[in-house]
Amino acid sequence: MPRPATREFTLRNGLRVVLAPRPESPTASVWVWYRVGSVNEHPGITGASHWVEHMLFEGSPKYGKGEIDRAVVRVGGELNAFTDVDFTAYFTTVPREHLAIPLDIEADRMTRALITDPEVARERTVIFSEREGNENWPEFRVEEELFQLAFREHPYRWDALGRREDIAQMSAGQLREYYHRFYGTRNAILVVAGGFAPGDVAGRISSAFGRLPAGGEPIEVAAVEPAQRGERRSELSGPGTTPYLQVGFRSPALQQEETPATIVLDTILGGETRLFSSGSGMGRSGEHPSSRLYRGLVDPGLAVHATCDWRPRRYPGLFTIQAQAAPGVRLDRLEEALLRLLERLAREGPTPREVAESRIKIRRSALLAYEGASRTGFRLGYFSVLRSLGLEDEIFSALLRVTPREVRERARALFREEGRLVVRYRPTGEVSDG
Amino acid sequence: MAERSDPLLVEHLEPLDGLRLVRQAPPPGAGSFSATYVGPAGWAYDPPGAGGTARLVSQLVTSAAGPYDRVELARRLDRLGAVLNRRAAPESAEVTVWGPAESWVPLLEILSWVVRRPRFEPDDVRRGLRQLAEHQLREATQPGHRAERELLHRIFPAEHPYRETGSGSRASLRALTRRRLVRFHEEHFTADGGLLVVTVPARAEVVRREARRLFRSFPGSRAPGAPQLPRARAPGGRATIDLPGRSQVEVRLGGPSIARSDPAFPAAFLANELLGGRPLLNRLFQRVRERGGLAYHASSDLEAMRWGGYWVALAGTGADRWRKVVPMLDGELRRLRAERVGPAELRTVRESAIGEIPLSLESTAEAHELAVDAGYHQLAADHWRRWPQTLREVRPEAVRDAARRAFAEDGSVAVVVGPLKAGTSGPGSSATA
Repeated sequence: MPRPATREFTLRNGLRVVLAPRPESPTASVWVWYRVGSVNEHPGITGASHWVEHMLFEGSPKYGKGEIDRAVVRVGGELNAFTDVDFTAYFTTVPREHLAIPLDIEADRMTRALITDPEVARERTVIFSEREGNENWPEFRVEEELFQLAFREHPYRWDALGRREDIAQMSAGQLREYYHRFYGTRNAILVVAGGFAPGDVAGRISSAFGRLPAGGEPIEVAAVEPAQRGERRSELSGPGTTPYLQVGFRSPALQQEETPATIVLDTILGGETRLFSSGSGMGRSGEHPSSRLYRGLVDPGLAVHATCDWRPRRYPGLFTIQAQAAPGVRLDRLEEALLRLLERLAREGPTPREVAESRIKIRRSALLAYEGASRTGFRLGYFSVLRSLGLEDEIFSALLRVTPREVRERARALFREEGRLVVRYRPTGEVSDG
Repeated sequence: MAERSDPLLVEHLEPLDGLRLVRQAPPPGAGSFSATYVGPAGWAYDPPGAGGTARLVSQLVTSAAGPYDRVELARRLDRLGAVLNRRAAPESAEVTVWGPAESWVPLLEILSWVVRRPRFEPDDVRRGLRQLAEHQLREATQPGHRAERELLHRIFPAEHPYRETGSGSRASLRALTRRRLVRFHEEHFTADGGLLVVTVPARAEVVRREARRLFRSFPGSRAPGAPQLPRARAPGGRATIDLPGRSQVEVRLGGPSIARSDPAFPAAFLANELLGGRPLLNRLFQRVRERGGLAYHASSDLEAMRWGGYWVALAGTGADRWRKVVPMLDGELRRLRAERVGPAELRTVRESAIGEIPLSLESTAEAHELAVDAGYHQLAADHWRRWPQTLREVRPEAVRDAARRAFAEDGSVAVVVGPLKAGTSGPGSSATA
């Protein structure tokens, strides 16, 4: 693995720090990862993690409203944040000579964001608007329904954007309470990557973050989703293009020993794994004609797109398969072909060639995974927040040892009828050429 | 040689049979390689009644080519840890290969196969047609896509090369036969009028030698001429399209604009940055989202191409809010055309744009985009190195004057698409079994 050399240390207040200096880099990227996501919410405050993320751009005693954005963008930097079910991450990439700016901002908003009533009221419509933009896509609606169907007890039941009803009524006080509970040095990881001298930056970090009080609770979720005892189905309808289908199965959490075989299975079905994807960005890079789903559904004209998705999660999540029907193809026919394909993979397992090619793909894709300060900060933080910096190496090594038999056993364990979830989307209305 | 290791300094090498060749050094520390072929193969050249041709051809060239069928091509790329991407636009089509720098020669060879010798296998053609048909449906039903399509239909008159999105119609897809696709490829993926941009840690003479070896024979010879731009007036006006059942309304204001070669482009670029281009600092974002709390996104784009261009100001908002958002966008456009920008605001936006340049050099893929831009628009070799100075020489009055031309009110249109009546938005019905 070409993971860059890193220096790790923990401040006395509990803040974990990872430094990845790359002397030749013209930029420096600062990432702060908090171990809080929608998994830490409950009905009534679903979407709180995401809303707090928005509010951390809206001001503190030191940085007034808009000043965080201005401080970074005026020197040519870029900044943003994203909220996942398991974590929330903030990132800023700047020309290397301006590294002090994001460090100061992150130290400040780790404990001192204001989250005022008027700003929360104004942001409510922005949050609604973000959700509405997602709802315009049938794929979002179907995925949200699939997770609601799968999880009755566990907080993976709702999307990180939160429920509309909760967004409508959540108060500024609830958001402040949530922020003060989860944000703080003990529940965060700071990653700095790019062009800097490690000694200088370590001193600057100690000065900016070391004075913060120890705070923030790393909280484990106690809820355990009971076993599923039969297939669950749902059908949505609404405007759209062609019928769409998602099928899901309960999958292991990241730390479980089945994870490497699940990743190889994902690669064989969908063409590559998100953890070690090719391409200049993160995520699947396009169509994969050699994948099972492509050959089984797209080639014969049943679907225009077909892929699958497994993401590493702190708790058991879902392995999902998505297919967009080709014009004129009925969902029954598409679903039947998809289930037959899965059943065959579970019965016969992958070919040795498929497993060998997956290994090559994973090994080759990993070679360029750390190009650039921003991607480096992302990958180091991602694995650190999920468990540890060394997790990537562990998974990588394990992936290269997975056998066809293990993949077959994994497929058998995953693709059982009694654990199956199916959500189908039927577009309504005629479409005119406009 | 030190100069040539600066990725902001591209090298225009001697053309090969009309194929222009640009070489760029990768950013320091980058381990990847990118190469792009750009051909005069955009949908402006779609034959009459055969809309969708260019888009489909650009997709199919990356399916199977030369000695590789579709699966073997995918496996070959996987073994090299590489990716092929393609993009079609009104004027041109691009194919890009990206992968480890150590494999740049075999990767350039793959690019040469897909550009020069695509197979157009019948199964691939059928599959591509199905995907394009589904994309057409998406353009009709997805508010964002639909708004874009309607906007272009109102900005540009019939027969204008920028009027379409390249997807064609149901009827035009029926006209797309394999033979027509092959012919289009032969006539438009040419050396003459084409461009090859290579971002690689190799000397210019080595790049040129490999390019000569790999790109020496194209099926077609002469580049097609640029299409005639019609003189007719565009429909213009305002369109509201109700798509009940959707959640978000997409708002677009737009109009015709200047070409990239226009001397006013740097000032127009800054005008767009002020209006809605510069992330977070721009006026639309500040007014609509930060002060108004009315939308998640609000921004603007200036599409300055070879033959002309268009501008668009856009926002996504709710059914109960779009009537407030449209006048806000319009108001900011009027302000941009009427008022001289203050020196402080101009300085902030300009220095932000200049400061961003190092971020464009984080990876080979990002730096490569600068080289493709320089190559396609035939910019000077040191264009990107001089870009900061170019922007600093733009005066506030020039920004306003450029805005009056590049974001002109004359010919501007407004399009609103989505659930226009409050109460008709929201997810569709659901039933759980």
